[in-house]
Amino acid sequence: MPVIALVATATFVGIAYRLLRGRGHRVLGRQQIELRRLRPTKNGNLSTELGKQATLLQFSTQYCGRCPSVRRQLAQLESQHAGISHLEVDITDRINVAARFGITQTPTIFLLNAKSELVYRVGGIPNVLKLNQELEKLGVK
Amino acid sequence: MTALIDPRAPRFGAAITSGIAIVGFADAFTSFGPISTVASLTLLVLFVWSVFLPGSHPYKFLFGLIRPRIGEPKELEDARPPRFAQQVGLFFAITASVGLLLASQSIVAIALAFIFIAAFLNAFFNFCLGCQMYLVLKRFGLFSKGN
Repeated sequence: MPVIALVATATFVGIAYRLLRGRGHRVLGRQQIELRRLRPTKNGNLSTELGKQATLLQFSTQYCGRCPSVRRQLAQLESQHAGISHLEVDITDRINVAARFGITQTPTIFLLNAKSELVYRVGGIPNVLKLNQELEKLGVK
Repeated sequence: MTALIDPRAPRFGAAITSGIAIVGFADAFTSFGPISTVASLTLLVLFVWSVFLPGSHPYKFLFGLIRPRIGEPKELEDARPPRFAQQVGLFFAITASVGLLLASQSIVAIALAFIFIAAFLNAFFNFCLGCQMYLVLKRFGLFSKGN
């Protein structure tokens, strides 16, 4: 019986993780993100270019296994929609940035509106459907 | 120096680890006989091995046998978070062995249960608890630079 209970517990945690991961949550309070201070890059070059409607700000580390595939996924979104800008911040050696924004895992994605305000954030691999819904709310078609 | 590994390798090892841990746990919880002793010591040896000599680890050898059948991975990943996860595993394996020395059934059972949960989630749900802890602990400055 204890074995069944243990396996059931672990399975329950695993299923909950799978269902909840990448869902993200909306952020209240309209916190302005100062891109200049974060020194984000686009395709390896410094860039603080905000998207006309939305900016996907990806926090990555060099040791993060899933960051490259998320980078490709978000870069594809950027190329499909004129109003989106995808920027990346490498926090490998800037752990203070993680502390300031309460980032506990990479990738973490911040969705910024046209005024560079944080409206939605996701830890881990983003759920594409949820992310698209949030992008639509910002007027991205 | 950044080593890259096939992300399926640690999950493959975790599947075997979870099997050993659950068998040991079943015995530790009931009769607390030789099976839980063997399981705890086996896990201790395996975790010590993977933390200190990962290059010659038996899991690596076994994974090398099945890798040609499952093809190339889509992506390689950094070895640091999974390596750190092995250190977390080692901590619990040591705890289980201390439990054996103290003849404490509950310490052995709890330590094996933790090893099982972490290894099971990693193997079957691709959820590496130890890896998740890596960035959090780094934030609290528990690692020196370059680790």
